[in-house]
Amino acid sequence: MNTQETNPRDPQANGARNADMPDFELEEISADLSDVSPLDIPVLVIFVTLFVIVALQFFTRYVLNDSLGWTEEIARYFLIMMGFVGAIMCVRKDSHIRLEFLYRYLPDASIKPLLIAVAFIGFGFWGYAGWLGIELAQRTNANMASVQIPKSTIYYVVAAGCFVMAAYALRHCAIKYRQSSADILRETRTPQVEDI
Amino acid sequence: MALLVLFVLLGVFLAFGVPVAIALGLSSFAYIVIAGLPDVLLIHRMIGGIDSFPLLAVPFFILAGYLMNSGGITTRIFAFARACFGWLPGGLGHVNIGASVIFAGMSGTAVADAGGLGSIEIKAMRDAGYKADFAVGITAASSIIGPIIPPSLPLVIYGVMASVSIGELFVAGVVPGLLMALSLVVMVFYYARKRNYPRDRHVDFCRIWKTLRAALLPLFAPVIVVGGIVTGVFTPTEAAIAAVCYALFLGLAVYRTLGWRQLLRVCVDTIETSASILMIVGAAAVFAWILTANQVAVLLSDQLLGWSENPLVLLMVMMLLTLIIGLFMETIAAITILVPVLMPVVLAVGIDPVHFGILLILNLMLGLLTPPVGMVLFVLSKVSGVRFEQCVRATLPFLVPLVAVLLIVAVVPQTALWIPNLLYR
Repeated sequence: MNTQETNPRDPQANGARNADMPDFELEEISADLSDVSPLDIPVLVIFVTLFVIVALQFFTRYVLNDSLGWTEEIARYFLIMMGFVGAIMCVRKDSHIRLEFLYRYLPDASIKPLLIAVAFIGFGFWGYAGWLGIELAQRTNANMASVQIPKSTIYYVVAAGCFVMAAYALRHCAIKYRQSSADILRETRTPQVEDI
Repeated sequence: MALLVLFVLLGVFLAFGVPVAIALGLSSFAYIVIAGLPDVLLIHRMIGGIDSFPLLAVPFFILAGYLMNSGGITTRIFAFARACFGWLPGGLGHVNIGASVIFAGMSGTAVADAGGLGSIEIKAMRDAGYKADFAVGITAASSIIGPIIPPSLPLVIYGVMASVSIGELFVAGVVPGLLMALSLVVMVFYYARKRNYPRDRHVDFCRIWKTLRAALLPLFAPVIVVGGIVTGVFTPTEAAIAAVCYALFLGLAVYRTLGWRQLLRVCVDTIETSASILMIVGAAAVFAWILTANQVAVLLSDQLLGWSENPLVLLMVMMLLTLIIGLFMETIAAITILVPVLMPVVLAVGIDPVHFGILLILNLMLGLLTPPVGMVLFVLSKVSGVRFEQCVRATLPFLVPLVAVLLIVAVVPQTALWIPNLLYR
């Protein structure tokens, strides 16, 4: 790509022409779904339900002037589930937010073992968190405040999310182990753009 | 001892690229084990951290941002801004700032602004004969207005972590955001004179009217979102839902840029981004709870207060710390770690938490424009094809007006507090 400074050309001719509408189209929202897996269906269902619940609350408050009492509590529970089930996607694609700048300065030989170790730490953390989730669920007897559903349901969903994340982290460990050091280096030394 | 382990582990994990959520969770867990607390606290506090109604705004503002970034909307806003400001000396520079301010009223992150609008702006400026460094610099600098003018994702996270009203934070960002735009306008005038930049012919009211008509529906989005929040009609969460519904209406019914595949794509991206933020917020809740339960932050604030009692001096010290952290760390992660540490200091010396929130975010935004982890620069380098190192150099001069605004907002709290005082207090 040419990064030299461009000479200012005739401004009248260039700056003003086609100024009503830019003469190019921004890339529309991508329709590429290659990285979407059937395993994403549960979290998509949770997300759409969450949207419907919050929209319903919005609608009942403004239009019917009488907001539904259960919507706030249930929306918060769906947010929790969306977090823990959605995070599976981040582990699968290795897109959890992390600091990568140190990798630019570390010796080449250390990158592969380090990445395997990081993936393994993830496996340990999510696995144990899932186990704690089960424990928390078993200790919880109360029902939700506004609906007759045991609160432990949320904790079981959270635990399930953690276990799936642990499984993906372990798989990631194996992938990195099998990948050649040269491939790993090429991947880590080019800055990745995350959309945050 | 246990606290030392907490901080050392956190630092080591973060430095070696352990995901921020796990680094926070695991180091907190180590503390819980050493201190002999029940280990189920870890997951209980994590869930408790996400269990918050204001946080519901996060996924919906992200979704609205993705939807608004579709071509139909961004190009119309750009064309309208061009008709309005293109005739000024350094025309497209002002267009760039104006479009960013309008877009700031619908999106809550700087990277969304840089990635969507930024690619149009840079291409238009280079086609018109502007130097690449100027185009990249002004695009990068104007993109960080996005999270200062409401809505703002970082301010939602700050409000949740610091227990501050998000409505107040949102309206507090309006004046500082406009000041940033103004400072950049001055900068563009200076460059335009020095380098004799081209401008569009003259004010053409016909064209303004034509582009306004084309951009009218998208322009209603910031009116609904910012207007709704400022007048108190919407809570931030409701504003987020309203923004999503409006963007869906534009994409599905008016411009028809959204099909089922696009919709699915946008939902999946929203879930991925939101979930990674929610996990950090959850894990940070465990970390924050440990700091609060142990009075760590209070100790720190006593220490700082022993050193100086002048709020302005302490504010400057904290801002410097934030700036340094912001150089290395992603915005949301930095907020979740800094707020529990700094909040007691802020309250002890009587700095308004709303004022501090705006300053904190402003500081962290400057970190997006600087290496080693300048997320906005990564994005612009990708969409413009200009090398990363050159983007860094190009953006450097534009930090001067932005830092000047930062100092003004720090020294004159009324810049941030004027509107919230008017509306809420």
